[in-house]
Amino acid sequence: MNATIVDPLQGDFPEVIEEYLQHGNMKCIAFNRRGTLLAAGCADGSCVIWDFETRGVAKELRDKDCIAPITSVCWSKYGHYILASATDKSLTLWNVLNGKKITRITLQQTTLHACLHPGSCTPSLCLACPLSSAPILVDLNNGSSTVLPVTVSDTGNGTTAASHPRNKFSDGSPPFTPTAATFNKYGDLIYLGNSKGEILIVDSKNIRVNAVIPIPGGSVVKDIVFSRNGQYLLTNSNDRVIRVYDNLLPKKGAAKELEMMSGTDDKLFEIEKLKEIGTKCLHLSREFQDVVTKIQWKAPCFSGDGEWVIGASASKGEHKLYIWDRAGHLVKILEGPKEALIDLAWHPIRPLVVSVSVAGVVYIWAKDYTENWSAFAPDFKELEENEEYIEREDEFDLMPESEKVKELDINQDEEVDILTVEKDSAFSDSDASQDELCFLPAIPLPDVPEQQDKCLGSSLKLEDSNHTGSPFSVEAAQNGQTILPASSPFEVVGNSTPEEAAGTAGMKRKRKPSAKGMELQEEKGRKPQKKVKSTGKSSKSKNKNGDGIDTNGSVLDDDVTDEYL
Amino acid sequence: MPDMAHPRPYALHTTLEGHGRAVCAVKFSPDGSLLASASADKILRVWSTTDFSLRAELSGHDEGVSDLSFSSDGRYLCSASDDRTVRIWDLAAAAAPVKTLTGHTNYVFCCSYNPHSNMIASGSFDETVRVWEVKSGKCLRVLPAHSEPVTAVDFSRDGSLIVSSSYDGLSRVWDSGNGHCIKTLIDDDSPPVSFAKFSPNGKFILAATLDSTLRLWNFSAGKFLKTYTGHVNSKFSIPATFSITNGNYVVSGSEDNCVYMWDLQTRKIAQKLEGHTDGVVAVSCHPSENMIASGALGNDKTVKIWVQKNEDQLED
Repeated sequence: MNATIVDPLQGDFPEVIEEYLQHGNMKCIAFNRRGTLLAAGCADGSCVIWDFETRGVAKELRDKDCIAPITSVCWSKYGHYILASATDKSLTLWNVLNGKKITRITLQQTTLHACLHPGSCTPSLCLACPLSSAPILVDLNNGSSTVLPVTVSDTGNGTTAASHPRNKFSDGSPPFTPTAATFNKYGDLIYLGNSKGEILIVDSKNIRVNAVIPIPGGSVVKDIVFSRNGQYLLTNSNDRVIRVYDNLLPKKGAAKELEMMSGTDDKLFEIEKLKEIGTKCLHLSREFQDVVTKIQWKAPCFSGDGEWVIGASASKGEHKLYIWDRAGHLVKILEGPKEALIDLAWHPIRPLVVSVSVAGVVYIWAKDYTENWSAFAPDFKELEENEEYIEREDEFDLMPESEKVKELDINQDEEVDILTVEKDSAFSDSDASQDELCFLPAIPLPDVPEQQDKCLGSSLKLEDSNHTGSPFSVEAAQNGQTILPASSPFEVVGNSTPEEAAGTAGMKRKRKPSAKGMELQEEKGRKPQKKVKSTGKSSKSKNKNGDGIDTNGSVLDDDVTDEYL
Repeated sequence: MPDMAHPRPYALHTTLEGHGRAVCAVKFSPDGSLLASASADKILRVWSTTDFSLRAELSGHDEGVSDLSFSSDGRYLCSASDDRTVRIWDLAAAAAPVKTLTGHTNYVFCCSYNPHSNMIASGSFDETVRVWEVKSGKCLRVLPAHSEPVTAVDFSRDGSLIVSSSYDGLSRVWDSGNGHCIKTLIDDDSPPVSFAKFSPNGKFILAATLDSTLRLWNFSAGKFLKTYTGHVNSKFSIPATFSITNGNYVVSGSEDNCVYMWDLQTRKIAQKLEGHTDGVVAVSCHPSENMIASGALGNDKTVKIWVQKNEDQLED
């Protein structure tokens, strides 16, 4: 997306539903790092990868072992792997490019939310937040897991959690209500939000709690999310408040910094020390709540640049999105169809939001576009309201000499650089040496056989042009047409109508074409299912066949007849 | 041939024959191993660039082919034809047309793959630009681009922008994601724009107009920075391209049967390549070697390959 073109005056947040995607019953979504691909986990255990540019399905990840509904999907940093957690207590790691399952691990409990370590491009570690116990760090290579500490007890025992083979708690305490957890930007620290309303910062290597930040109100933390640049953290608590914190630790080497702060002071009053360190790590900057209706929030997250916070209403049957700016003002409430929302994601770069409804449909929200007329003609100037035009005294005087003077104020001798490409500032930490998977190769699906009859005659060997040339294919086309007079024009025409549902089984797509496109369609198009009428009315038409093409089997050359003109 | 400021001039290396009618387009594949040519004889020919043998003949179009474009991996080719279709050919598998994209209501004049090769843009005499999804062949967008035939379409380097040019005298820049018009480039007189393409870094647009002029525009400012003249271009849509393998040059065909090369910065004519016997309406530069391919109209019907002169490479 060309960053210089986005209008900064219009708030950078979406306003209307632009489109919806439907393919199976989707439950959870995740964008890849550049927002070019959208992964969606489905109720049948498969994952669908959408090419977000074309809004078409790029790949499906299927395996006969994975049949349970997916609860969360997560991309690896450079887009080569996807981790999916499902209701049958499993975690599956997929290779995106070849669509094959790499490994599958079964845990003790169903994971609600799993994420891959964000620091490496071939992650073997992942963080899993189960349904009703403490979050665990799972090593995908050998399936071993480490339970993370969720509380700091006063005696200090809970801080040092030795790794145990399976989900055993070191101090034997009863399981907790679901605890939210997330990696920081480079994965060296894990931020946990526990049921006592505290944020714990845990070092992901040695599993030590290094800081504690109590949240005002002390209610159960349901979600904890970082912004993309790692600068801001938000928590969603049971007291219906979303809190935004500034991350005071440096982005790189945060764990080291924290270690230094912990130091080697006395072991007494450990919890106080942790809290003190905590104040140096996070600083509460904003609280968002709906004071009037006091709704619970669901799936809150940041915009790609961290400037906006979006949260969905968790009220029954509602599909409402609330958008705040970082100063704390509520800027927009988006209302969707009457289907409850189950997941939400903001595009990493563009002002686009994607929401999943309980019906398994993904809605894409985007800015409402107002036509920029000055783009069509450089000397158009758009006015906000009517202006009275007062002409100059000499406006209509004939001044032949001055009219002919054309100022060439362009210095044509200046050097022009056609080769240098500017670095994309939105991805400051992209390492050129790492191979990022941004796109899946688009393999064109072959056309249906009826059309192939027309396309005979290609060869690999050196042949006379007479032999392989057009007369042959024209003949074939004619044959094709006389055999299937009614159906073949439809086949060919159906291909082009943007509004039609795609031919592949089970896939439905609705698309709202641009306004101009709609007009063009209405002017010329009719539903392709109807009988094609004879063409040739437009005077602007450069159609060499003119009027009167009758499609009922009479063939004029080999033309593909269509209904648009 | 006249030798200008250019230290090592290009010279004719090979002439590729076989087309039955005028050659309308020539393009090197992105890896430089193949050269494809399209002709009014409805056939596309694919040649190897190592020995210039004919690798494949692609037929299937019902009318002459005006333009072609390789996908980024060089495996697929799309072609635009007067039969109102764009066809996608799979070069790895029996060179059969894999897909036919229909929807245009008049001759399709130009086509281009986007860098990610999941979309194809095509411009037509029906005054629209269409954006197609490669995988399914669906038409994603119909852009109401111009009021005269669209002569060229090109994607920018990151695929986010499309430039289209037309005989109505305008070049327009579109956002390829949502189809909105971003900019229109227009000069005071508006001669028909017969060709437009982005510079390698996507910041500039090279536009050819039928008053025998080539201009390099800074499209975000809406002003042109360089003008290249000296060739003849008043009738046909002749593509121009950048040669960046050995210094920066602008290369274009011309209706006086020559291929012109200008120094990008000084705008002086660096070389005129003579040899064709009819107007040169197709040019392409090899991505990594100092090689230029050109194709000419009906009296000539050949594709000529020019390389920078080395004693052992000259053909008699």
